This record gives sequence, C-alpha cells and structure tokens, in this order.
Amino acid sequence: MSKENGLFRPMEYFKPISVEEAVKLLAQYGEKGAAIAGGTDVLAMKDPRIEVIIDITNLGLNYIKSDRQGLRIGATTTLADIETSPVLSNSPYNIIARAAHKVGSPLIRNLGTIGGNLCNASPSADTPPPLLALGAKLTLVSSRQSREVPLDEFFAGPFRSIKGHDELLTEIVVPPLSPRTGTSYQWLTKISGIDESLVAVAACVVFDGKGEVIKDARIGLISVAPTPMRARKAEEMLRGKEASDGLVEIVAKIVAEETRPRSRADYRRDMSAVLAERTIKEAIARAKGTTK
Amino acid sequence: MINVTLNVNNDDYQVEVAPYHTLRDVLRDKLGFTDVKTGCGEGECGGCTVLVDGRPVTSCLMLAAQAQGKKITTASGLATNGKLHPLQEKFIEYGAIQCGYCTPGMVLVAKALLDKNPHPTEEEVRVAISGNICRCTGYQQIVEAIMATVNETN
Repeated sequence: MSKENGLFRPMEYFKPISVEEAVKLLAQYGEKGAAIAGGTDVLAMKDPRIEVIIDITNLGLNYIKSDRQGLRIGATTTLADIETSPVLSNSPYNIIARAAHKVGSPLIRNLGTIGGNLCNASPSADTPPPLLALGAKLTLVSSRQSREVPLDEFFAGPFRSIKGHDELLTEIVVPPLSPRTGTSYQWLTKISGIDESLVAVAACVVFDGKGEVIKDARIGLISVAPTPMRARKAEEMLRGKEASDGLVEIVAKIVAEETRPRSRADYRRDMSAVLAERTIKEAIARAKGTTK
Repeated sequence: MINVTLNVNNDDYQVEVAPYHTLRDVLRDKLGFTDVKTGCGEGECGGCTVLVDGRPVTSCLMLAAQAQGKKITTASGLATNGKLHPLQEKFIEYGAIQCGYCTPGMVLVAKALLDKNPHPTEEEVRVAISGNICRCTGYQQIVEAIMATVNETN
C-alpha cells in the first residue's frame, strides 16, 4: 500500500489522554515506541525500528501563551498556528513565527509541530536559530522527573538529541523580553519553496537602559555545523560595547570562524559572515527602534 | 487492526486499518477515492492533499487512525448535486488542467484559501499552492483560474 521503505510497520497505536499516560507508554516501549503529533518527520522517515505509535495530539499541548513570565509554546502546537499567531507578531518574538513559516510547505505546516521540528534535531531545522537567540528552554517530562534543558544543550549530533526514549517534550519556554531588545532571522536556501536553508542566522541584541551599550547578544545558526549552534565568541565580542558598523563587520567574521560546515564549507562560511552582519545590524536597528 | 470511522465528504465510513496505514492509503486504496493521488509519499509534492477540518494537509503523512473524528474533504466532495464548484469550473475554463494529477490538490488548497481569505492577492495564492507541484502547466493557468474565481465571486 504505502511506499515501502525499510518496512515501516508499527503494529500498535495508542492515543493517551494525559502526559502521565503518555510518558508511561514511552517508558514501557523505549526505542520501539515513537511519539507522533503531526507525523511529518516520523512518517517521512519510516524508521523500521518503530513498533508502537503513541499519538500525543490529545494531551493539551497546543497553545501559545505570553505573560510577564515569558513565552510558553506547547510542543504540539502546529507550525501554521505559530506562523499566524497574534501573540508573536509585532514583537521581537516574531522571528519564531518567521521560522515556523519557513518549514516545509503550507500543507506540512498544518500538520507539523514545533516540538517535532526540534526533536527531529536536523542540523538544518528551521526553528532552532530564533529559539537559540532568544534563550529558549525545553521542558522534558518522564515518569521519573520533569527537567528544563536550555536549547543549546539539547542537540547532541545530526538527528540526535539528549532527550531520552522515555521522555516527552511538553513545552518550549522563552524568557520575557527585556526592553530595548531587537531580533532578526535571515537565511539562504538552495532553491525556493520547500528546500532547506543553506545557511541561516538569527540574532538577538539587547541594549542597556540608556540604549547605548549592548548588554547582551545571542546568535543562533543552522546548516553550518553538525547541530544548530550559537556563535559564543562573537556574542562575547558584542557584549559591553557600543554598536557600530565596524564592530559588527568584525564580529560577523568571528561568527564565520566559529562555524564547522561539512559540505560547501567555504561558501557556507562566507555566507555565515554575510548573514551574521545583516541580522546583527537589523537586530540593533530594531532594538534602537529605528526600523520595524 | 483498529476500527475507525472516517467522515469523508459528509459521509461516515467504518474501516479497519493497521496502525501504519496512512490516511492516503485508506482513502484511495480502501475507500476508492482515487481523486487522492499517490505522488512522492513524503509530503513534498502535494498530490495526496485532502482537507482535514478545512485545512489542507498531505494525507500521506497522516496516519489513518489520526483521522478519527475529523471532517475530511476530497476534491470529489466539492461538487454539489452534480454541479461543479466555481473553482473547478474556472480550472477547466482557464486550461489549468493538463495531466490532472496535481489538480485535486490544487483545487482543495485554493478552496481552503478562499474559505479563510476571500480576497487573496496573487502572491498569497502562490504561497498557498507552494506545497503542490505541477509538472505540466507552469502554474500560470492555475493561478489565473484561482484569481478568476476570486474576481467572479466578488
């Protein structure tokens, strides 16, 4: 019937109605069990090791909330809902919506979820750079415990994360925004439409109370290393400095030096510097309120 | 095997499905909805597009079991009492159909767009169909047919 590709043939399907029930099933089945929400990665990959499907769409993890504690996005929120969310637009958080819009196609975005995009852990996943730049943390729940993991500690290698087989990603938490925060997310793709980013950079810049000195900076990148990464040396060079084009140009070159691209390395490194310069400048301008 | 009730084009169908059967498998192979096409099986071509609760999705990436309790619309469900939907009429009129393989998906995506946004710009139409590949027309006639439907209903 369906495309035979290593014989993906799970023989059991569960649809738990609580996180407690879901994590019990994940613990019970371990590597043989797969949590599925939108299914756009699980069913595209058709891993023959999967014997049990655990449908996590009925756990109430579909929400986008923002308050003084920050932003909370439920793991099974679809990319389409994130893309169009009024909670994210008109705010520095909107780079998350831009990232969601970038994933796949409109059809895939109606099914695929932000949790799925993160847990698939592709080196080219579209949602990590803005979340890295905004300092996101992930809530991982198992029968034993609930833990919060900074996103920059989540990725272990291409398509590998530190999430255990018995753990469920329930929520993405983004800290509240400081005043005078500006963000930007830009990318180059191989071809238009559904294709992956060749290089993508997200920058978040926070100015001090007077709006003159950069208090904090975070830069997230994909497709230039085995995992989504932060350019920490570059970030450090921005902190405590006054913003200037000259500084940004130097920092952009540091970003490129921090990348570890595998294929098309020279081009990706060069483009990392180009996009880093553009996104840092745009984030600075937005933080200062001189552009939208 | 699991027993599911699928609501397709306003009719309920009781089917027995395996956990690994996709919605596409069941609609086309078990229930005979051949307007749901087999393309790539990976969600990249849009040939298997159906509407689930009014939203276009690639049915090859959805398990049949997950469609329980949802309202599914296929292209053949757009005509009412033998009368074609205006989108279908315009597709014919504007030569937007050549081999016909992308057509069910294109029409469904267009319908979902117009239900949500009755006055899309051409750019919005092109974004809406960006997940549906056409190898024949070059997309121009498809976009024109959709814009003509927009203009006629206004």
